[in-house]
Amino acid sequence: MVSDLTTDHVAALAAALGLPITPDDLVEVTHRLNALVEALEPLAALPLETIEPTARLADEPPAS
Amino acid sequence: MTAAGADLAFLGARQLAGLVRDRKVSPVELTQLYLDRIERLDGRLRAYITVLPEAALAAARRAEAAVMRAEALAPFHGIPYAVKDQFDTAGVRTTSGSRILEDHVPAADATTIARLNAAGGILLGKLNLTEFALGGTQQFPFGQPRNPWNLDHDPGGSSSGSGIAVAAALCAASLGEDTGGSVRSPASFCGVVGLRPTWGRVSRHGSFPLSWSMDTPGPLGRSVEDAALLLQAIAGYDPNDPLTSRAPVPDYSRALGDGVRGLRVGIIRELTFGADTQPEVRDAVVAVARKLEGLGAATEEVSLRLVPLAGAIFMALADADGAGVHHRWLRTRAADYDQGTRRRLLTASLIPSAVQQRAARARALLRAEMLDLLARHDVLLCPTAHQAAPPIAAARAAITTRHEAAGRFFTRRSYVTPAALAGTPAIAVPCGFTRSGLPISVQLIARRFDEATLLRAAHAYEQATGWSKRRPPETA
Repeated sequence: MVSDLTTDHVAALAAALGLPITPDDLVEVTHRLNALVEALEPLAALPLETIEPTARLADEPPAS
Repeated sequence: MTAAGADLAFLGARQLAGLVRDRKVSPVELTQLYLDRIERLDGRLRAYITVLPEAALAAARRAEAAVMRAEALAPFHGIPYAVKDQFDTAGVRTTSGSRILEDHVPAADATTIARLNAAGGILLGKLNLTEFALGGTQQFPFGQPRNPWNLDHDPGGSSSGSGIAVAAALCAASLGEDTGGSVRSPASFCGVVGLRPTWGRVSRHGSFPLSWSMDTPGPLGRSVEDAALLLQAIAGYDPNDPLTSRAPVPDYSRALGDGVRGLRVGIIRELTFGADTQPEVRDAVVAVARKLEGLGAATEEVSLRLVPLAGAIFMALADADGAGVHHRWLRTRAADYDQGTRRRLLTASLIPSAVQQRAARARALLRAEMLDLLARHDVLLCPTAHQAAPPIAAARAAITTRHEAAGRFFTRRSYVTPAALAGTPAIAVPCGFTRSGLPISVQLIARRFDEATLLRAAHAYEQATGWSKRRPPETA
């Protein structure tokens, strides 16, 4: 499913977080956010459920 | 400026260190040479935010006195270098390229700066960058950095000044910071060598953060051996950065000349032959593979199926980290950010957590794929960027659709972010020029903590070609 956040959605999200957003910024931020969510849509088809979402994996040498 | 002076300025840091050690060049003379070049050229290039002539000359005089006393000299002794203005410098303004920090003066040096100074380096100044090392700055608060190969073109970022200053010989070598390509991209666009070390190899202490799991300082130089020299100085455990590794730091210069005979090189198909890669770039990178074969390496095409999504995966994770760092200022000082930075951080602040977690899982999968390939290949090879440096104006164009946003932000990042996501070392090395005279760069990636093999392969290629010896037209 392709995300289709509107400027109203984005304005509401920003307001909930206390982030000031100008009308000009709002339009572009909406495009950027939709682009990101859409770009990651193909990940939904991958078997990711069994993968732990960690940045540091077992091959790391011990830090201390 | 005499031709001899320019020739000296363009020598590599290692060569200059030898000349200083042999008393053929004075650190004071060398420092003044670079200060003169900065004075003459940087008004157009805008590599520097802050130049430190008095402090640099004072350090140079101390370095010269040590030479004259025949003291034991550190490997970097008397070499003028410069650093991205993301690294704290005691008593020297450190802006991170932002008006928000334009009056920020740290009390202490970043670990990397302290180590470079301890190795004998002479700090010339602080280098320009995209705001807060994020990329996408529209109006640079401290001047628009320009590519010395063509002033109308982008020098790359976020370590923009670090690439320019090395390419234009405004310092002998520089330090940048690479979260998702911020050392390798300017190295690529400016035609110099840029090294992203293994994550955890170099301390991040005293560097303004973007992403805790991907940020790493990295050197830029006019040769692979200069990158090795700087890495040697900055690598190793730091109690101030608990995520640095205690793994021993090898002698990176020792194996540089061992060649590539017997090395197994995997050519990443999706990045080298993909539709986004410009033909001139593809051809130059294929020529690198052929050259390495000629030197005795075994090459084959390999596939990383998730690589085309790496740019978006990176932005879902690193940008979200950055949004957390900036949350307070976004609420209270939003107007003080550059428009491009502010919009990127606002976007990142709103990424749904489900999307972030999916990206984190995909990161782990991509990382596993890369480590699997690196178990069977010593080095992976691909373009550093899908194109040569684009015009500055292209980065300033308004974004009016989500398609434009995707093209602007994800495509190019998919070339440099795989190594960041996997935590592996990677190096950008010049490998040719476009018909319009802009540099092209090849990227090599190696196993974690195996910078020695990475540098060895890059050095062998560099020695067999000579692309690094060309000088930009704007630096005569």
